[in-house]
Amino acid sequence: MSEVVKEKITAVDTVTCTIDGQQITVPRGTSVFDAAGQIGIVIPAFCNHAKLKPVGACRMCYVEIEKMPKLQVSCATMATDGMVVSTNSQQVREGRKAVIEFTLINHPLDCPTCDKGGECDLQDLTFDHGYDDSRFGFDKMRFIEEEKRDTFDDLKIGPEIVLNRNRCILCYKCVRANKEAFGEYDIGAFERGDLTEINATPGGEVSNPFSGNLVEICPVGALTNSDWRYKIRVWLTKTVPSICNFSGSGTNITFYKEDHKNFVYRVTSRCNDAIDDGWLSDITRYGYQIVNSESRLKTPLIKKGGKQVKASWDEALAVIKKHMGQIKDQSGGVCIGGLISPSLDNASLYSFSKLFRTVFKSNNIDFRGDYRYLPSVTDSLFTIAASQPFSISDIEKSDVIITFGTDLIREHHNEYLKIRRAVNFYNSTVYSVNPYAVKTADIAKSEMVYSPGTDELVINGICLVAIEKKLVNSSAAAKLKSKISKLSPGVLAKLTGLSKEQFEELAEAISSAKKVTFIVGEIVARSLDRDKICAALSNLNKLFGVQDKGQLAVLSRYANSKGAQKLGLSATPYEIVKDELKKIWGEYPDCQPRNTDAMINLMKKEEIKGFITVGANPMRLYPDRSFASEGLEHVDFLVACDMFETETTELADVVLPLCSWAEYDGDYINLEGKVQTGKQAIKPKYESKAAFEIMELIARQLGAKLFENEQVKNEEIEKLLKLDSVLPWPDDFLKIEYEKKSSQDGYPVPLFICDDPHHSGHLTEKSPSLLNFSDSAYVELSKGLAAKIGVADGDPLRVESPVGKIVVPAKISPVLNSDVAIIPRNFSSTQTTSLLMRKKRVDSVKLTRVEE
Amino acid sequence: MILSEKTVKKIREKASKYPKRKGAILPSLTLAYKQLGYVDNEIYIEISEVINVPQLEIAEAASFYTMFPKKPRGKYLLQVCNNISCALLGADAMVDRLEEKLAIKRGETTDDGLFTLISVECLGSCCTAPMIQINDDFHENLTREKLDKLLESLKNGK
Repeated sequence: MSEVVKEKITAVDTVTCTIDGQQITVPRGTSVFDAAGQIGIVIPAFCNHAKLKPVGACRMCYVEIEKMPKLQVSCATMATDGMVVSTNSQQVREGRKAVIEFTLINHPLDCPTCDKGGECDLQDLTFDHGYDDSRFGFDKMRFIEEEKRDTFDDLKIGPEIVLNRNRCILCYKCVRANKEAFGEYDIGAFERGDLTEINATPGGEVSNPFSGNLVEICPVGALTNSDWRYKIRVWLTKTVPSICNFSGSGTNITFYKEDHKNFVYRVTSRCNDAIDDGWLSDITRYGYQIVNSESRLKTPLIKKGGKQVKASWDEALAVIKKHMGQIKDQSGGVCIGGLISPSLDNASLYSFSKLFRTVFKSNNIDFRGDYRYLPSVTDSLFTIAASQPFSISDIEKSDVIITFGTDLIREHHNEYLKIRRAVNFYNSTVYSVNPYAVKTADIAKSEMVYSPGTDELVINGICLVAIEKKLVNSSAAAKLKSKISKLSPGVLAKLTGLSKEQFEELAEAISSAKKVTFIVGEIVARSLDRDKICAALSNLNKLFGVQDKGQLAVLSRYANSKGAQKLGLSATPYEIVKDELKKIWGEYPDCQPRNTDAMINLMKKEEIKGFITVGANPMRLYPDRSFASEGLEHVDFLVACDMFETETTELADVVLPLCSWAEYDGDYINLEGKVQTGKQAIKPKYESKAAFEIMELIARQLGAKLFENEQVKNEEIEKLLKLDSVLPWPDDFLKIEYEKKSSQDGYPVPLFICDDPHHSGHLTEKSPSLLNFSDSAYVELSKGLAAKIGVADGDPLRVESPVGKIVVPAKISPVLNSDVAIIPRNFSSTQTTSLLMRKKRVDSVKLTRVEE
Repeated sequence: MILSEKTVKKIREKASKYPKRKGAILPSLTLAYKQLGYVDNEIYIEISEVINVPQLEIAEAASFYTMFPKKPRGKYLLQVCNNISCALLGADAMVDRLEEKLAIKRGETTDDGLFTLISVECLGSCCTAPMIQINDDFHENLTREKLDKLLESLKNGK
């Protein structure tokens, strides 16, 4: 679009109005409320929410508009040309007074015992705009469950949420947010008139993965959560800005802390439109509770006579010095390896890398502890795909959104909501292309479920059909055709379980889109053949020019995965990162680089003798438990740093207590590549230390020094972050061979191990609130499959793979519609990963009913 | 399934006529009500599966409309008009009589499941007051004797 045309459109599409004597020009369709907000005039309101459609339910935002006979609600009145608005005239003030008086008719005066007191919109606005006294002498209406007369009318409507219908002023924000923003249907408004009540769906409870937001946006104390209820008054807390540590998007949060108790009381959102729209997933909201957990590691532990006993830091470090020093001197630093969690901050990651590469002079480090058999080459196609630029806010600007190989509600809650917003507010079209039906389906124009393990064939199919239908540039088409012509679209359709029409629909959508967002997720990233799939994506990108008119990337899963990649935390960092490291350190180990998989392999061969894990739990998360445990048990000297005792720390010779992200300042890079700072909220609990401190201590024990001071460290990190970390796709189209994989006889059901929608990684099971939502493993399966096996919801089910067996209850999914099994990996009580084989493309299991 | 196949088929037919699935909520509830004489949560779940609308949306709509009874009612729904014309001509006495004869209070159902008694707002038959609507039929210009006879004939299954 030329600039002139653009300008024209903008000129037509704006209106100019006058608000309180100030002229303002806004895009057509802007509400008077928002227009006023833009010039700093705050209109009071209860039901208006910037991210929801207006309803005009509370009537508090009355304004006077010239030539209109009565007061108008500014949230639902669009600004028009020449409109003259006054937001604070005598009539408006009286109108507001009347609204407050009306709202208070049945609202109880229980502020002293109400948990919202101090941050209650109704309290504040009554103070600002209401009458001092009430004219209503009659009894207020009460919703009371007869048998619960003594409980202040509280009603538990979900694992976390408590409802008090007396306090509700019927702004409908919770119901609207739930439906419009989260696409969930577990809270609604029932009855009518003065009897209207908010409540959970009959027979159900409010337990969706975003339910915490309902409490936060409630303008009164009608919805409260047990996380915060009656623990502290809000004015006794201080706030600290931080970043979520459980997701890749880095949603912005605020910690509420109290200094004397050194305690974090809650987390609320800190709306950042570019990232999160002010919505938090429950993992983000309640996951902070791990910080306060009583079961945290309190002191270092040393293994003495086969048992771990408490020790001081000095003792623990002395043991590390002795053993690591010994291994380094006798066998060389190459016999030492390390695995770090990509949820840690930049300084920790970089210190870890520097400790290994300059002190141990070893290249045995990795940050990906939960990916099966990783490629060890730097520029593997997967690494390239994962390095591609991505912008969260571009999702809603795209007219076509394709989610490929990603179960967003288990991986990327924030992007899940963004896509919903794109559909509900910007009319984007979503195509959900996954090996099993996912929750995004209800907003998708088409949902395509392909057979597990045929990911790259789906992409090939799209490309081939596009060529056949001449939807793409013909010279590119000819070039690609020579590479993948072996299989016809018809055959591909058969292999993938999709139809040619579905390929065509996707091809059509991508080629006709003005702006595309193509999200690739964990199902691809965790696949053994991730490189092959990414090769197909590279072809697709080139054929359609996806990135020329949008974005295509594998989204990174953890809080600082991007940072780990940028700082060179994989065994084989990007070439430019490697060069820069060489420059900074003046050295770089020239020994063989080894990633997680290679290291565990070498442990068994006793070529890796010393191992350090920092916040990582390979025993739980590595997708082949017996492989990981065999390796780790072979290690001569294992140092494990974590916040909690885990399966991995149990094996360790020295265990060091790690700080949580709330206990120190740290920088994190989200999946867009944006650096954000998480501020320290409280002092480190117990004797825990931040990972970068621990690395420095270990280095000093070994007679080295990582950094002179903090400034040096920051400068070095700064240098690395400046590097352009987007790797170019290969210039040419890539050949993709198709090998027919024989399916495992006797194990008919494909298995996917992923996160529970209410958990992330191995730490969140220490959060009591999250456990209220989901506290143990289950196997999720479709109604059809459950019927075939003959199990009902909750019945125990034996899940057997060629290498392992577990018994977990069945959970019948409302979403799944094909024969797959999904098991969460977040609970230590079930050894989920023991079912997996590291060199398997698609794990499959046999499901049998456990007879009583 | 509580809903009969016939009802489900009718609901499907109706639902196909609406551009948005949500539009079919009220017609579906009406059809279910016609079959059963009431709607409740189990019905909402069944309708939700048939028209593919969340159960919540159906429950919300049903709860808003007071004329969908939420629990099973007697075979005969006795709706006594209590608005002004009927009231002036003895509607209250009618209700008293019915309460006495059936041994139930307003809003209740007899143990044999035959009668449910409610009082309703104006049914638009003021010139023939007092009146009662039994299921879909009007019975007008009531007197005590007429009412007794009416009850007898209903009890005898006519």
